[in-house]
Amino acid sequence: MHTRREFLAAVAAGATGGALLTPSSSDAQKITQTFSGPMEQDAYRSVKLESKPGAVPSMTDAQRDDLEHQIKCQCGCPLDVYTCRTTDFSCSVSPAMHADVMGLVFGGYSASEILAAFQKVYGERVLMSPLKTGFNWLGYVTPSIALATGAVVVFILIRRWGERAARRPVAASVASDATPAELEAINAALKDDS
Amino acid sequence: MILVGELSLWVALLMAAWAATVSFAGGSMGRRDLVASGERAIYATLAMVVLASLGLWTAIFTHDFSFKYVASFTSANLPKAYLFTAFWAGQAGSLLFWCLILAIYSAIAVWTNRTRNRVLMPYVSGTLALVLIFFLATMCLGANPYERLDWIPPDGRGMNPQLQNPGMAIHPPNLYLGYVGTTIPFAFAIAALLTRKLDAEWLAAVRKWALLAWFFNTTGILLGMWWAYVELGWGGYWAWDPVENASLLPWLVNTAFLHSIMVQEKRGMLRKWNVTLVVSTFLLAIFGTFITRSGIISSVHSFAQSPVGNWFAVFLVLAIGITAYLVTTRLKDLEAKAELESMVSREAAFLYNNLILVGIAFSVLWGTLFPIITEAVRGEKITVGPPFFNAVNVPLGLLLLLLTGIGPLIAWRRASVANLQRQFLGPVIALITAPFILLLFGMRDVAAIIAYSFAAFVSMTVVQEFYKGIGARRRMYGEGVIDAFTRLIARNRRRYGGYIVHMGVVVIFCAFAGLAFKKENDLTFKPGDKRDLVDPWGHKWSFVSQGVSQYNVLNREVTAVALEVSRDGQPAGVMTSEKRQHVDSRGAPTFEPSTEVGIKSSFREDVYVVLAGVRDDDSAEIRVTFNPLVRWVWLGGALMAIGGLIVMWPQARKRRVQGGYAATMEPREPVEEPRELVGA
Repeated sequence: MHTRREFLAAVAAGATGGALLTPSSSDAQKITQTFSGPMEQDAYRSVKLESKPGAVPSMTDAQRDDLEHQIKCQCGCPLDVYTCRTTDFSCSVSPAMHADVMGLVFGGYSASEILAAFQKVYGERVLMSPLKTGFNWLGYVTPSIALATGAVVVFILIRRWGERAARRPVAASVASDATPAELEAINAALKDDS
Repeated sequence: MILVGELSLWVALLMAAWAATVSFAGGSMGRRDLVASGERAIYATLAMVVLASLGLWTAIFTHDFSFKYVASFTSANLPKAYLFTAFWAGQAGSLLFWCLILAIYSAIAVWTNRTRNRVLMPYVSGTLALVLIFFLATMCLGANPYERLDWIPPDGRGMNPQLQNPGMAIHPPNLYLGYVGTTIPFAFAIAALLTRKLDAEWLAAVRKWALLAWFFNTTGILLGMWWAYVELGWGGYWAWDPVENASLLPWLVNTAFLHSIMVQEKRGMLRKWNVTLVVSTFLLAIFGTFITRSGIISSVHSFAQSPVGNWFAVFLVLAIGITAYLVTTRLKDLEAKAELESMVSREAAFLYNNLILVGIAFSVLWGTLFPIITEAVRGEKITVGPPFFNAVNVPLGLLLLLLTGIGPLIAWRRASVANLQRQFLGPVIALITAPFILLLFGMRDVAAIIAYSFAAFVSMTVVQEFYKGIGARRRMYGEGVIDAFTRLIARNRRRYGGYIVHMGVVVIFCAFAGLAFKKENDLTFKPGDKRDLVDPWGHKWSFVSQGVSQYNVLNREVTAVALEVSRDGQPAGVMTSEKRQHVDSRGAPTFEPSTEVGIKSSFREDVYVVLAGVRDDDSAEIRVTFNPLVRWVWLGGALMAIGGLIVMWPQARKRRVQGGYAATMEPREPVEEPRELVGA
């Protein structure tokens, strides 16, 4: 049973019903939960670097949008910065992250340098997919290894089964009550059916 | 009614406990009276769960806010249709809904098998009752929909606006019908393992249930995609979200089973594999539920973090342990009755198909769990998003598409060169011709060209199969084309219904490939502003802003933008997109604002308009996306569902021989029960 205080805390938090089970008052003040998951509007961290000498924009708008597709919005939604800022007007994090990207683009930084700057501030979780380094390689190669192993097992099994089937004596023909013409018609039907 | 419902939940738990106890006891002791009592207890459990459900609906419709569940998910001004769907909007209610479906399925399974499968049924009833106990106990002790508040709030919080969508009325029930449907094949598999009756009998009993689960899982996933597309407003329908992945896992494995079951039926092979697939499908459905409800993985769709996840984790571990023990101790009973003779045979093709389907399932599972593994090993949080899943799964998906076309072309047992030449000629011509045609029309995206070429190959396979079948009927019975077509399907629903499913898959793959040509545009409009855009097909679209308006309607405050649209200079109507701030009955805002997307749909593309924000000077920030071929996703899905229905539809028993030849084959020894057709 929940008290009035607990219920109001959860209502204030805008939490979904199940969140009533975890009505932490401190969380209630800083997290607003939508259907898109817990939205943490204070998750934004500034990513700023000094402009390079004589800097000019390092990429076109389209290239910048592509880059923003690789950076995850930190508001708690599952979207990248570009998608979030262009579709969710209640999010204040993705516009701020977009502003940082713009600043770095105008500061003359390349895509990889911008991604590295974001990673330094937020950690690797800011990238939409893990970097292909170190332990992360396990993530990328395991499905292929598993599939290749499966393929080898299937290949060996089929070969073994085929060899065993070839060694088995051919079954003697069974007498049937069909005439040769009927058997021919059945064979034709089976051929069509195969 | 509410009090009756509340009490019924506990009585249902007792009934299920009785059903489990006497069913297993009756089965092992050979006591028919106990078995019958167990089956009656299943019916009684259903009655109690129905009462509990009616009680909750009554509490919701009468706005009894003394119940935490009612206060949390409804409000006095919630439209009536959504009062009905509020039943499954939250954790506890959706558990009761799950339980209701499971109790109905269980009662149907017991009723339809009252004269069949009598050796298996005590253990089937017992297993179903055990699963019911788990869900009922989780509700009674963990997340009770009848939990009361110690005070009565004047109004409830209302339902999340994004759940106030017609899609939400049918998507969760469909998905649940699919998830829960995997329980019946699982129960039969456990019964077969316990009794060691691992012949064709249990397989025949589970096939229809597996198909039913597949059908609802398919429609549930597609409806979820549709809901995400029209409601969430980010412009797509699949984001490789953990909960989306969780729904895909049992679907993939169940699809693998529905293919490999044919190999066991025809050749008596893959017996161990089929048991493993049936059991895995159920376990993955439970795993999906665990992900959704535990909060272990952050997801767009998940329920809030709750201790219910621990219950699911324990159940999952126990279920895995018990089934692994049963399977490993019955390996001898699961020996194949025939052996695969050639790598180029229908059964080998099914094996390759299974390998790919299970491979995709593994990669999806791996990608979903990898963030947890990484955090445990490295202590670093990472994101595994669409780029990872696309990189791993797109090649596998294309390979699967190709196999969809190859399988039906190869003969059972061993394909001859002549057979291969005859069967493959048309499809291979389509496969080779398609890329040249696409290149000629200016397509340059390699992945899309491959996808469309494979689609052409599979389409030709299906067309060829229908052509041959219709031709044969026309020759044999002198039927017209339409009659031959309909009777061909009606007489062999499994085969031709399956081909229709394959065509649905082809259509969906073609639609997915269309995403390669998606165009996104971010625009700012002041009232009266005009913007011109070119879509992927080269047509010129003009959008003229009619301004931003604000008004109140029902339980929400709306900010809307209207755009007058024309295509190649021809008027194409007005598109609107809204931001909605839902309010409670006192006018206070509830939840975050939500988006209503404007969609102009055609067979070529969807024009997808999202109001991203409104500035102080009344200018609107709008995202206009051209999404090619999206309508074909829904049409392909519908085709898959229709094909699934055809496959499931009961085949009328033949009363007389219609023509052709009938051959009588005398068995060497008396046959007491259905047998797998070894060497057919």
